[in-house]
Amino acid sequence: MIPQSIKWRLQLWYGLILVAVLVGFGVTAYQLERGRQMRRLDDELHHRLGILGIAMHRPPPGMEAGAPLFDHPHRDEPPDQEPPFQDDRHSPDNRHSPAFHLPLETAHLFDATDPNGFFFRIESTFDHQVIAHSTNEPAFAAAVIKSGASRVETSLPPGPRPFKPQIVGQDYFTMDVRPSGEAILVGCSLAPELAELRKTALNLTAIGGLILLVGLAGGWWLVGRALRPISEISSTAAKISAGDLSQRINAAETESELGQLAAVLNSTFARLDTAFAQQKQFAADAAHELRTPVSVILAQTQTALARERDAAAYKQTVEACQRAAQRMRRLIESLLELARFDAGQEVLQRRTLNLAQTAADCLEMVQPLAAERRVKLLSDLQPVSVTGDPARLAQVVTNLLTNAIQFNRTDGEVHLRLATQAGLAVLEISDTGNGIAPADLPHLFERFYRADKSRTGAGNSGLGLAICQAIVQAHGGTIEASSVEKSGAKFIVRLPLAA
Amino acid sequence: MRILIVEDEPDLLASLAQALREEGYAVDTAANGDDGFFNAEGTDYDAIVLDVMLPGLDGWEILRRLRKTKSTPVLMLTARDQTRDRVKGLDSGADDYLVKPFDLQELFARLRAIIRRGVNKTTNVIEIGGLRVDTATRIVSLGNQPVELTAREYSLVEFLALHRGAVVTRTQLYEHLFDENESSLSNLLDVHVSNVRKKLGADLIVTRRGHGYCIE
Repeated sequence: MIPQSIKWRLQLWYGLILVAVLVGFGVTAYQLERGRQMRRLDDELHHRLGILGIAMHRPPPGMEAGAPLFDHPHRDEPPDQEPPFQDDRHSPDNRHSPAFHLPLETAHLFDATDPNGFFFRIESTFDHQVIAHSTNEPAFAAAVIKSGASRVETSLPPGPRPFKPQIVGQDYFTMDVRPSGEAILVGCSLAPELAELRKTALNLTAIGGLILLVGLAGGWWLVGRALRPISEISSTAAKISAGDLSQRINAAETESELGQLAAVLNSTFARLDTAFAQQKQFAADAAHELRTPVSVILAQTQTALARERDAAAYKQTVEACQRAAQRMRRLIESLLELARFDAGQEVLQRRTLNLAQTAADCLEMVQPLAAERRVKLLSDLQPVSVTGDPARLAQVVTNLLTNAIQFNRTDGEVHLRLATQAGLAVLEISDTGNGIAPADLPHLFERFYRADKSRTGAGNSGLGLAICQAIVQAHGGTIEASSVEKSGAKFIVRLPLAA
Repeated sequence: MRILIVEDEPDLLASLAQALREEGYAVDTAANGDDGFFNAEGTDYDAIVLDVMLPGLDGWEILRRLRKTKSTPVLMLTARDQTRDRVKGLDSGADDYLVKPFDLQELFARLRAIIRRGVNKTTNVIEIGGLRVDTATRIVSLGNQPVELTAREYSLVEFLALHRGAVVTRTQLYEHLFDENESSLSNLLDVHVSNVRKKLGADLIVTRRGHGYCIE
């Protein structure tokens, strides 16, 4: 049931929280308004209670001024209209009741013509005789005042009595019992207040609903905006997984978290792309390198088989095929060696050895080649002990020495130096050949890269320096080449010293 | 037909030269770009087999320079097989393109094709009256009867037939029928011509005294 989309889930939670907050605010505001209204009514009721109480102790107006006991509050109203207050003391059964006179200035507080006006009823607590009542009093007033009077303490000092204002139907009333024995009930209709509260509730609901709508819309927009880069990232990633490695995420907002993610992903994609391209190039180069020996074998054998030959001719063909096969074997061995280094499967011996001894052995090994090319080998070897694989390190030195001899001029020199520098074993091999063109230097250690395009012959696979680099790096060292054109190249191998 | 092979792998060069010689071509060889360009520019070859990766001038450079002066048909040999390499080869003025490794039979067929195109022929068969020269099978027949010819005799007939109607000088014949290593004895050509006349009829090859030979 719960939607799986992040956008919808965020929106759902966001909406729920917004509704809870709005309902909380609305209910609180409603309660505050209601309390305020009721307190105002309480004050009004008590004010009127006080006035009626004072009126009870006025001397009967008839004894003072001969005026009628009860005066109509609105003198200019037509006489045939029924007076709003009935003074029941003129009736025979009210003779013993205390005198009551509602002052003119307060009579308007009990406007019986107003359907929502205040009403009152005054009864004697001794004989439950009605002393006075307003004509607009509700039917329940008579019953309530009788039961209420008995419950109200009379011994309390004057003032608001602990009679809790009550609501009956739509009417709100309170009462008081005077020490002199009169129970006074004052009330009013709640209708206007209730109507107003309803209006307040409606207003609050409307405002809350509006805020909710605006909030939801804003949230939807915000969530959509925040999540847009994700859909872009996923569509780009889909294209890349479909094989188009050149795709990149359009990361315009690099400041946001998703922008940073996009940047990280883009750099990952770029590296993947490069790695794929290199792998493809490597495979193409390897295939290319195998093509020449295979064409030699095909051409040689097809020529030989075209007609009957003598034994010498067949021997020549077989020898050429052998040379081609040897070349392929060397290439395949080099490729496998590199592949093992790439996969981290090449197991290196780790033992402490004197690199000077290794270098001296290598010098001895390449001596015949140097003699053949009339190149002089010069060395300055200081004892340096390193940790590593003796055979592999010897392979590096031999390879570099062979290169230095092969690319040297006749009667040239090869210098081999070994020393400790800045906590590293430094092996330097320099020659007096033509050097390396600046354009070739950065690519020297790339697989199948040949600075001299002509040296595609049998002995040169174009992988030698790449293998040297792989070996040195596996020993935690570095290899670099520098050159002064026309005056020779220099290779420097740096290896960490034995601990 | 005289062909130049420029290839730096010695074993490949040797076997190609031998195979093409056995096919009846006169073959010159060059093992690097500089020698290759020198030969290609100095001699009117019927076709050049040119490797791309060469010491010295590479194949592209030789082709670029050669096209300034000569339209000799060129077949490029390369180990690169990607489309852009093939496009580059053909756009640089190569007449055809062969990717290593290749079968010799395919090399022969492509060579025949570019040589044929070089003299504006579209088929391998040339017919002159009752004479029929099949350049693919290297068989010459007269009135549907195959005639036995030596390789050199066949080459002579083929060359004159391909240039039918034109007078071919003795120098041209020497250049196209013999490679650089053969001593061009002046009467060797006359011997071949007279042998062909014995086998195919005396009036096939017309001698233009002081000019050369011609098949009309």
